[in-house]
Amino acid sequence: MWTQNKKYTLFFAACLTALMTVAGLVSLPIASAQEICPLNTMKPKKVNSLEIFKRMPILSQGRIKPMETYAQSFLLQLSGKTSYGKESALQWFARFSFAPRTTFNDKVFLINNPEILEALKIDPEKKHRYSYQQLEQGYAKLEELARVAHSIDEKSQSVVDKELMRVYSNFEVYVRLSGAFSYGFQHPDFTINVPEVIDLLQLPKDQGSYSFYDVIDKADLLQQASDPLDKKIFKDWGETDKEVARLMNAIYFWTDHYANCPLEIIPTLDLENEQWFSPMDIIRTAFYEPALHLEVKYLRDMTLGYWSGSQLEFDIAGRAFMDSVTKRLSSKEATAVQKIPLELFYNKLMLFLWAKLFYGLAFMLFLFSLTSDKKWFYQLSLTSVLLGFIPHISALILRILIMSRPPVSNLYETFIFVGLIAVILGIILEVINKNWLGIVVSSVCGVVALFIAGKFSNDGDTMQVLVAVLNSNFWLSTHVTSITIGYAGCCVAGIMGHVYLLQAMTKPEDKKRLDVTYRNMLGILGFGLTMTFLGTTLGGIWADQSWGRFWGWDPKENGALLIILWCAIIFHARISKLINPLGFAVGCISLLTVVMWAWFGVNLLSVGLHSYGFTSGIANTLALYVIAESIFTVVAVGLLSKKGFKF
Amino acid sequence: MNFRQKLRQTKAIKLFSSVKLAVTCLILLFILTFWGTVAQVHEGLYIAQERYFHSFFFLVLGFIPFPGGQAVMWVLFTNLSCVALVRLNYKWRNTGLIIIHFGLLLFLISGFILLRCSKEGHLTLYEGQISNLSTAYNDWELSIWEASTEGTPQKYTREITAVDTDHLKADQGVQFKQLGFLLKVKEYYRNCTAYMGGGGTGGPINASGIQRLIPVDLEKSPEKNTPGGIFSIQTPDGKNFDILFFGNETLPTSFKVGEKEYHASLRLARHQLPFPVKLIDFMMEQHPGTETPRSFKSQVAIETNGAWREKLISMNNPLRYKDYTIYQASYAIDQMGNESSTLAVVRNVGRFMPYVSTFVTFAGLVIHFLMMALNSKKKFEPPYVDPE
Repeated sequence: MWTQNKKYTLFFAACLTALMTVAGLVSLPIASAQEICPLNTMKPKKVNSLEIFKRMPILSQGRIKPMETYAQSFLLQLSGKTSYGKESALQWFARFSFAPRTTFNDKVFLINNPEILEALKIDPEKKHRYSYQQLEQGYAKLEELARVAHSIDEKSQSVVDKELMRVYSNFEVYVRLSGAFSYGFQHPDFTINVPEVIDLLQLPKDQGSYSFYDVIDKADLLQQASDPLDKKIFKDWGETDKEVARLMNAIYFWTDHYANCPLEIIPTLDLENEQWFSPMDIIRTAFYEPALHLEVKYLRDMTLGYWSGSQLEFDIAGRAFMDSVTKRLSSKEATAVQKIPLELFYNKLMLFLWAKLFYGLAFMLFLFSLTSDKKWFYQLSLTSVLLGFIPHISALILRILIMSRPPVSNLYETFIFVGLIAVILGIILEVINKNWLGIVVSSVCGVVALFIAGKFSNDGDTMQVLVAVLNSNFWLSTHVTSITIGYAGCCVAGIMGHVYLLQAMTKPEDKKRLDVTYRNMLGILGFGLTMTFLGTTLGGIWADQSWGRFWGWDPKENGALLIILWCAIIFHARISKLINPLGFAVGCISLLTVVMWAWFGVNLLSVGLHSYGFTSGIANTLALYVIAESIFTVVAVGLLSKKGFKF
Repeated sequence: MNFRQKLRQTKAIKLFSSVKLAVTCLILLFILTFWGTVAQVHEGLYIAQERYFHSFFFLVLGFIPFPGGQAVMWVLFTNLSCVALVRLNYKWRNTGLIIIHFGLLLFLISGFILLRCSKEGHLTLYEGQISNLSTAYNDWELSIWEASTEGTPQKYTREITAVDTDHLKADQGVQFKQLGFLLKVKEYYRNCTAYMGGGGTGGPINASGIQRLIPVDLEKSPEKNTPGGIFSIQTPDGKNFDILFFGNETLPTSFKVGEKEYHASLRLARHQLPFPVKLIDFMMEQHPGTETPRSFKSQVAIETNGAWREKLISMNNPLRYKDYTIYQASYAIDQMGNESSTLAVVRNVGRFMPYVSTFVTFAGLVIHFLMMALNSKKKFEPPYVDPE
């Protein structure tokens, strides 16, 4: 092993020296995809089933995930969609990986800002999506502008600056990824015109054009042939010598050009570091290891299988690759890989979509019930809420199983969790009261929470790794869970405040019904206050454990305190008769705004310890919501006070 | 009329036992909390905290006084105590409510104790290094010691007399009792810039040659403030001279009182720990293939009663000994590749109190709202407080 190791090191050293002589001739384009190669000009026959490819593990953003998840988040990151035309994300990504040139005209780059298009001299498209080919023309400008934007202090970056950096980084990743499997394509760089060299390298004769892999696989022979070149002067070089030197050069260029590809699918032998590499980086650094060498070959065979449309070849190579990789994983990595089927199952079911549909249906049925007295509307609607609840909770459980941690670590997850708790509270209310109140609460909270969660999944993979201080299951499951349950309780109370106002406006004479709503609102608010208090103080204890202070007036802490104070204010105002049920309902409605402030509004300030999450663009939505809510409340209270309701 | 009812008639008690006062305080606290949060964006956490939460009152737009967090909380505390004393309806059905309010009283008390008694500092150690001095983040002290104790074997345990400089004002006298002389404050600034003198005589004594201090605005983050001051020393034999200190000068300024020579400097306050801490090893892990740290750990040892005890400190897993808690705060790797770990050292006298208050209040909330839910069928809602 060692001798082989040394041999390769020597080989690359030799490559390097050989290159130095010719280096001046080759300028390295940093971000352009590879040159035309015969394979690329043709259309691949493709394979029908990508089952194997879908299951391949890949290390990305600190966690091992299935290729399918990677493909989805990559496409989502580029285009804001999880499919391309009729192709699924996985199908598109397979085509992009194995036959990148066929995607150069695919309009996958989402650019929202017209100023960027103008700067890059690209004609705007209706769907705001552009192809690699279109962007490549303005690449130099894009790079320049992105660099300038990057040098600006983060706080003073404009929307355009941020969009520029996003587009540039997407473009870069696209270019780097597009070369991931190019070592298996035949390429003019490796078209050998001197038959002696073909003989020398023991390559098949009838082919003419070879791939990078074909040549690097014969690196031993190539090195032997190049050894004597050092002693010869250039004038004396024959055709064979020149061809050998040219090949060495090409190899050096390729290994350098395709280095640091983010498609990290081959674990290195260094188990301690949990490092994974792309095939090209393996060739560059550890090709002498037989297991790694074989894995690179399997991937090449997959590429060939994809091109020739041979499902069998593709599958055999893929399976061999996976077997080889899984055999040598560390126990931690192996556990992650074992969870891949579960994650694929999760991806396939699209549980949140179903949950949203059923909650939506339940609400529609409620609206219909207003126009007719038929009893089956009620039963159907309740069933629909339960049918939405099942996929909702299943998805959450699956996420817990996949990530082995409580499902409340980023904004996306808190929306899903708060939605679930609100739905549960609604179902409990419905079981007790049987008067539509719970159904309305569940369906509204379910749809709205899942809809907003969807907005927060735009940065791709929703199962992110955690920074050190959050990486504690005990505190995540106690503090964060209880505070989010508290948010849910307060939100439900807020929704009930709306229900109270609407009921009072439509049927002011039905005092009994209003009283039931009021009492339920009181109870739910009490629940919300209790859980928020618990969550906040547990957060204090966590802070005391990790930073040494119980309370530090951090924005997020203050946000939670605001909720508690607001609840305390309306409870005490009620006791001291400063407000009546109507005032209490308005208090609950305003509480919604306080909750939103605490939940994600404070993140807008981007100060403090809790400034996580993706929050640009929220400010406007939040402001719009507050305005609409204020108008509704003022109008409703005005109308009701005319009808004799006291605030 | 029983004792409680009689007390209730007292004017002051009547005012302070009103629920409306509680609502007012809560609303003020709500406003302050919101204001203090938003203000952090421009003023930074420290200044906002001082202005809105720790103060008794502050001025809006420079002339309108507004009650600060501390004042509101004192009123709330008085209010709660009075209500508990004369108006809270001590009936079984109000068990939860009573517990909640006693829990909150305890919360306020623990808040005041922690505000007054906790001390924070940090301790930066290279691997293998030992120390028992923690340095404050932004509390400054003026420390004076006898020059003759330097360089002796007791170098690290020499007597240092120090005073907090946080509240120094011009024309104030500071007595250094053990040393037997008086220091009078001529100028003192919490943040200032220093200027070298023209070399003339008669200016204040200073080791670095600084002659003038110009005050500047306080920084957003208090660590960036550098205080400075000019003091006049009055020796027992009636001599008088000026001395200038600027924060974190490299050399202490020396002066003579009688026969004795003293060294003095204005520096971040040091707190001596009753035990030395040794850093054995610092470890950092990252999520694979990313720069996101997964965990930081410091293997340390402390000497307790003559024996060294080892302990692994990591995020969320501090070392506790006596009133002290030592946390993993940050780390650094210098140009030579040596790893150093910064540990936060906190001395909290009543640190268990918020834990107790949390538990009590939460238990009260649960009991109260459960009882409310169970009694929800009853039409009549019993009173929580007796009438005024």
